[in-house]
Order: sequence, then C-alpha cells, then structure tokens
Amino acid sequence: MSFWSQAIEIARVDLAVERRLGDTLRIVTPFAVIALLVFPLALGVRLSVIREIGPAVFWALGILFGMQIALRQSAADSPERRDIYALMGLDPAARFAGRAMSGGVLMVAFLLILFVAMVVLYGPSLPPGSTWVVVVSAVLFAIGLTELATLAGEITAGLSNRNSLASLIVAPLALPLVIGASQALEALVRDVGILPWILLLLATDLALAVAGIGLARPIEEATR
Amino acid sequence: MTKVRVLFGFAGAAIAVGLWLALTAPADALQGEYSRIINVHVPTIWVAYLAFFVTSVGSLMWLWRKTPRWDRLASSSVEVGVLFTGISLITGMIWGNAVWGTAWDWGDARLTTTAVMFFVYLGYLALRGAVDDPAVRARRSAILGVVAVIQVPLTYFAVNLFRTLHQTQSLRPDGSTMPDEMITAMLVNVIAFTMLYAALLTARLEVAKAEEAAAVESALAGDAVKPPKLSEVKDV
Repeated sequence: MSFWSQAIEIARVDLAVERRLGDTLRIVTPFAVIALLVFPLALGVRLSVIREIGPAVFWALGILFGMQIALRQSAADSPERRDIYALMGLDPAARFAGRAMSGGVLMVAFLLILFVAMVVLYGPSLPPGSTWVVVVSAVLFAIGLTELATLAGEITAGLSNRNSLASLIVAPLALPLVIGASQALEALVRDVGILPWILLLLATDLALAVAGIGLARPIEEATR
Repeated sequence: MTKVRVLFGFAGAAIAVGLWLALTAPADALQGEYSRIINVHVPTIWVAYLAFFVTSVGSLMWLWRKTPRWDRLASSSVEVGVLFTGISLITGMIWGNAVWGTAWDWGDARLTTTAVMFFVYLGYLALRGAVDDPAVRARRSAILGVVAVIQVPLTYFAVNLFRTLHQTQSLRPDGSTMPDEMITAMLVNVIAFTMLYAALLTARLEVAKAEEAAAVESALAGDAVKPPKLSEVKDV
C-alpha cells in the first residue's frame, strides 16, 4: 500500500469509530454551544458587546474544544493496536497523516456548526465575503490544530494525565493558528488584506506537517 | 565542582562590571532611571533564546545519537531558560508599569508571545515530570524540544510581524538607536548573563548526572537496600 492509501485507510477507520461513538457531534459540539451561551450570561445583556466579541469567542472556543476533538479517546491507540500496526508494516508517518486527516474533517465540521451557532446567538455584523474567509481559515486552523494535537497526543500517549498535559503543550504552541484565523476575519472587517494571515496559517500547517512526518518514527519508538 | 566554581566566579565578576557600567551609563532623557532595566531585561531574554536553542540542538542530537548527555543538556537548558524567561517577563512588566503606565498590555505582541513561550517550556518540564522511564522521557521530551523551538523566532520577530507597543530591535545592521555608553553597558551585561547561563547550565548538568547515578544505584539495589560503597567497607 502506498503512503496515501495507508493514511486514507487510517482516516477512514478513525471516522468509522467516531461515527459509532459520536464523541464530536453528540458531546463536544453541544458542550461548546452551551459555552457560547455562558459568555452573554456572564457579561450581562449588552447587545453591542455581545455582537463585538462573537468572532473572538468563536475562535477561543474553537481552540479549547478543538483540542478535545483532536485528543478524543477514539483517536488514542492502545499499545496492542500499535503493535498490530507495527506488525502490519504501517508507516508511522502515514498514521500521523491519517490521524490528522480524520481529526481535520471532524474539526472543520465542528467549527462550521459552532460558527453558525455563534452567528445566530451573537448576531455579529460581518462584512460580505466573510463566510468564505471563515471557511478557508477554519479549514487551515483545523488542519494545524489537528497536526499539533496529534503530535502532542502521541508524545503523551499512555500517561495518566494525557489529556491535561497534551492540552498544556498544544494551547501555547497553537498561538500562530489562533492569531492567523482570528486576524483574517478581523482584517476583512477592517477592510485590509487578509493574505498575510492566510499565509501565516498555511506556513504553520506546513511546518507542523513536516515536523509530524519527519518525527513520526521517533514518536513511534517513544510510545512503545 | 571546581569547574562550576570557576565559571560562577567569572560570571560574578562579569556581572559586577556590567552592573557598574549599567549604573554609570547616562539615563534615557524620557524614561529616566527606568531605562537602566534594559541591562537585565535584554540579557535575560537573550539567554532564554540561547537556552531554548541549545535545547533544540540537544534534542536533535539525542534523537540522532541516543546518548544520555544530550538529554541532560536539553532538559537542563530548559530549566535555566525558563528561569531567565521569568526574570525577563517580570523586569519587562516593572518597566512597562513605569513607562507605559501598565504592567501588561494586550496590544503588545512581544509580551504576549514571550508569555506563551514561557508556558510552552513549562509544558516541556511538565511532560518530563510525568514520565518515569528515563529513555521514554528523553525521547518524548526530545520531540517536544525540537517542535517547541518554533516559538523562539516567533517571539523574537513579533515586534516586526505585528503592529505593537514594544519597540523594535535597538541593534540593527544599519546602526544603533541608543548612545554608545548604553549599548556598551547592555552588551557587557549580555556577555555577563551568558556566562551566568554557562555556569548555571554546568551546575545543573552536574546535578543531573548525580541524579542519574543515584537512580541507577537505587535500581540496582532496590529502594530499601543501598549498595555498599568501597570507601565505607573497612575490613575486607
């Protein structure tokens, strides 16, 4: 099997497991929408403030709950499953790519649902064309965050405090992604160029992909 | 330990010279005496960048050679780097409070990215603390050490990438934005703090080596039984 066939197969299995368990759509997404409701309650009913903070709250919840999706239990391989993958001759880099693909698909779906909920609940005044900017930046944000969380999930695999430790590693390193995604929308609102922010997202995604694929084998050895 | 003492001796002397130059250099016309804080603020962040770069080199070398000394170098350098990042953040906040009127400004990209860098390496130390097996700990932290260094250029170039309150670099290829006396004092302090970093790193490496030896000793004999030392055995 070629590299991409292996990666697609891993992604397909991950998505099949996720469809059965439903962690992302049945648990994480409703939880994030509840969190969207909490902010206006905490701030009081000041419509102008709520409209203004909408996009920022969206990206903040995007990173917090996005990490939960990327670090979901169904994407954590048991030692036995790792052994089977090794015996099958699965390329560790393909496993990384596949896991990033499945996480990316789930996260894009999550972000789009969250964005619609934010628009409905907060009513932000967004300029024309913002839907495309959100879609493009959400896709790039999701790819980068999944790559980063997959890396962090791998190096914390098997530890008792895996989720909290991986989140501590991911959250600060995801800064370029949050800046790029939030500033792209902000640039559109201020009617200045969005290209530098899209390029920042692209460069971060690319750097993380290179790191993930390049370090896949040491990671594989580290978790055995 | 003699080597460590000598290094600390040189670092102490260099810091004394740096302190004297910092206190005798002219104060800034607008910032007054507060401008002298750059003699600690700039050298400490330089040392932090250096420490994290050394960590990435140590991590890469560990992944390549798999010898414990590279892991010791990487982890010891992070500890010293985190300490100096903390000092730089605190001195920056003291200066900001006096000159900007606020200790923390969200419009300042350098301040925010430095804080983020601080937390990235706290995460590194947390990861090391969570893994018991030395080989697994070394491998996992080496991977993070390689990835985390991306934060260093992002922090350094934050003042160029974003519109921010923090001033850009004072030393540029086309000249300096500061008087010669202030530049000299700052550069001497950069050298002095680099020497202090070398001394602290060497001391921490010695401690790490002793910790590893103690762990091996304990693993050989079990926690309850200490193996006899030849020097303690009298009648053999």
